Amino acid sequence: MNNRFFSSMALRNIKSNRQLYIPYLLSSTAIITMFFLMVSLLTNKFVQERSASLPMLFMVGVIVIAIFSVIFILYTNSFLIKRRKKEIGLYGILGLEKKHVAKILFFETVITSLLSIAAGLVAGLIFGRLVFMLLNYLLRLPTDIAYSTSLVSVAATFGLFIGIFGITFLYNVSQFTFANPIKLLKGKQEGEKEPKGSLILFILALVFLGWGYWISITIPDPLAALEKFFLAVLFVIIGTYLLFISGSIFILKAMKKNKRIYYRPGAFISISGMLYRMKQNAVGLANICILASMVIIAVSTTATMFIGAEETLENSYPYENNMKVFGDSEDIGAINSRFFELQEQLREETEAAGLEVTEMESYRYQNMYGQLEGQQFIFEQSLIDGSELPVFLQILPLEDFNAMSGNSYSLSDDEALYYHSTGTYQKDELTIGEQNYRLSAIENEFSEEMALTESLVLVVPDISHIKQLKEDYEKQFPDDVYLTVDAEIGWDTTGTEEEKREFAEQMNDEHSWAEDHHYEARLLQREEWYSINGGFLFLGIFLGLLFTIGTVLITYFKQVSEGFDDREKFQIMQKVGLDKDMIQDSTRSQIVWMFLLPIVIATIHVSFAYPIVRKLLLIFGVTNDVTWLLSFIGVVIAFAAIYWMIYRVTSRVYYSIVK
Amino acid sequence: MTLLEIKNLKKVYTARFSNQQTEALSTVNFSVKEGEFVSIMGESGSGKTTLLNIISTLDDATSGDVYLDGNPLSKIKDKEISAFRRNKLGFVFQDFNLLDNFTIKDNILLPLVLSKTPIGEMESRLMPIVRNLGIEAHIDKFPYEVSGGQKQRVAVARALITQPKIILADEPTGALDSKASQNLMETLKGINETGQTILMVTHSTRAASFSNRVLFIRDGAVYHEIYRGEGSADDFMDRITQSLTVLNSRGERDE
Ligand SMILES: Nc1ncnc2c1ncn2[C@@H]1O[C@H](COP(=O)(O)OP(=O)(O)O)[C@@H](O)[C@H]1O
Ligand SMILES: [Mg+2]
Repeated sequence: MNNRFFSSMALRNIKSNRQLYIPYLLSSTAIITMFFLMVSLLTNKFVQERSASLPMLFMVGVIVIAIFSVIFILYTNSFLIKRRKKEIGLYGILGLEKKHVAKILFFETVITSLLSIAAGLVAGLIFGRLVFMLLNYLLRLPTDIAYSTSLVSVAATFGLFIGIFGITFLYNVSQFTFANPIKLLKGKQEGEKEPKGSLILFILALVFLGWGYWISITIPDPLAALEKFFLAVLFVIIGTYLLFISGSIFILKAMKKNKRIYYRPGAFISISGMLYRMKQNAVGLANICILASMVIIAVSTTATMFIGAEETLENSYPYENNMKVFGDSEDIGAINSRFFELQEQLREETEAAGLEVTEMESYRYQNMYGQLEGQQFIFEQSLIDGSELPVFLQILPLEDFNAMSGNSYSLSDDEALYYHSTGTYQKDELTIGEQNYRLSAIENEFSEEMALTESLVLVVPDISHIKQLKEDYEKQFPDDVYLTVDAEIGWDTTGTEEEKREFAEQMNDEHSWAEDHHYEARLLQREEWYSINGGFLFLGIFLGLLFTIGTVLITYFKQVSEGFDDREKFQIMQKVGLDKDMIQDSTRSQIVWMFLLPIVIATIHVSFAYPIVRKLLLIFGVTNDVTWLLSFIGVVIAFAAIYWMIYRVTSRVYYSIVK
Repeated sequence: MTLLEIKNLKKVYTARFSNQQTEALSTVNFSVKEGEFVSIMGESGSGKTTLLNIISTLDDATSGDVYLDGNPLSKIKDKEISAFRRNKLGFVFQDFNLLDNFTIKDNILLPLVLSKTPIGEMESRLMPIVRNLGIEAHIDKFPYEVSGGQKQRVAVARALITQPKIILADEPTGALDSKASQNLMETLKGINETGQTILMVTHSTRAASFSNRVLFIRDGAVYHEIYRGEGSADDFMDRITQSLTVLNSRGERDE
């Protein structure tokens, strides 16, 4: 018997076990594609150049997917080989020597591994290019992100998966050389045994999870986060597998013991089914849970970054066009004429460009810092004067406030309006410098940024009061003569995006750094931000998509392979009186397991990952906690919804197989 | 009292990818009285399994009908068919059809669980049956941990537990050795003596000799029957063998 014989035998086996091998090859290919794309991202220009930390983080991603691949392929292989035990046991009985059986298995492994690696690489090349093209088209970032890969990526993928398939080969051979044929013939019937020392496994699971969580919670700074991130992820992954294996078996056994729960049609069928293949069930659920965590982290951090950036842009540039006019500290009055002059000029320039002003807001103001003590505002010289954070004070003339807010307050000479961001100042009067004002409160009509630090806005009767306060301040700090009254002018215009851009560019040329004023367009600022950081959005969406597709395929594989596994059982049960409704009932009672469990545990993981991920985000300049929390919640809900659909569709596939 | 009546039953299979038709049953007529133990014998391919499947509602007849307690099976609504099968019929199959993921106990309880029977009721029914069948000691084991004969007793227990009108058995001894077969047939006979109606398909003369009446089926029709009467089992077996020989040779002459 020569190799030709064994290889054609192997090929025939694969063909005749199509039902098993097609899902196996498909899901292996998917995992290989995923790994290959991840390795290829390491060669991406944006990843390499944007920040030194990015290649490190992507390396973590590569290793995580490598570990995941090992577990996933061993899991699918064990599923497959279990169902072939009988067939291969027959070879022994028919007189094939063990080394011959090993040879057949060897050729089978060679065929399946080469097929799926080749398919994975090709799929990676095509899918990568296509999705990059699509994303570039959809996102229209200022600069396209190019898809790139390298021979090293190909070699790494090839090496890793040849290694993994090598392990499956050794595992399969060991299954057949050490078992006697009779046992093999029964192989499929025998249920899985509970792993030894499952209590110890459970404790270990908690230790690993706790350790991983602990690293995240106690992380002191971004640098440490970068260093420890991998370790934390690794511990949580190990912990997850152990938790699902020990925990699910523990719960299932407890449910089986409770007769009231167990002896009901749906539970009876599903609990016994899950216990029958308890380890496979647990590993499959853990796989889904880990992929779900990856999706949630990738997408929610990206979303935070971009929603945060949009917020910052909106706050710093409340209008499409923003002009800041600098006052002259030696000639406080100069701002007044300049202020009106510029407004007129800007209107004219806008109209000259063929656009109309739809809204314009302008106000003069002076900024100061100090502390609120009793009824007094005490000046401080600069931001970091005292040990306490200073209160930010902005003073506006009534005329400008009325104009910008559309109110028509009037004030007598000793009255002022105020807004306090923390709302804790409730007094009727305020002494500031040498002036004393009777106060009335107003709503926040000002920038949202006011809420970042404790701030106080004071609207005084007219500009001369501001001048007076400046003099009071200079009396206290004679060296500091740089206080000025500045002005903001912001306006929106009519016109298309293109016309607005043209106008912004024109304004930028003329006014960007003029002598006494400075122009900024929100449009151009956004573009600049995106040209630096757009790659993050791109990669975030890409990874989210990749991991979601991974989740789809893995859920699909689980349902299909279990469906074929359960088919015979359902046929027997139908003979003794199981009806179709009950089949659906039993698939429904798996919802808690298949749907809720992975999502809930993934959510817990990601919640604990919050501190360490937050520190990592600091490296890329993301600081907004509220946004993070909201986008996190949003992504969890959105992913739960997507996974729900995946679950529904795949369980329908399962149902159609078993019924 | 007639429990089961089969009237002009006909079954034609049409091959899925061609128009070729196989007539598995041409016209079958017979009836089974309450408390009877009837065997159906015939060569392989004579339509025995087809007949049993139609009686089991697992398959539809082309024409004719089966009446249980005077009610035609064809009138049962699709929705009720599973419940009907669970409550009125008990099955014993040649290849046991036990489920590997359930213990022996749970295998036996399966039809009751599907009928949402209260736990107390299930357990009180279980013990007498398993004791009677001698599988008491094995109820916490899994099917792969017991012998073929024991598996078939489990299947019998599963059939009995719903207290069915009739037990339908398709070659129950087909996968058993002679000792286990003997054992099982004695058990079935014992069960029949408590009043349980049994309809069994077999091609073993020895197995058939345990029943009260044997129907012979050939080319899709019942063409002979013999009663056991007062004679001994061995006597009956001889008569069955004789009938088979005579009928076979006549069959050959006909062709
Ligand atoms: N599903 C089917 N489709 C087509 N022909 C069938 C089918 N089942 C049985 N037959 C045919 O009907 C005849 C009777 O089969 P069966 O009832 O299984 O016989 P027995 O059980 O007596 O051996 C045979 O000729 C068989 O080939
Ligand atoms: Mg048959």
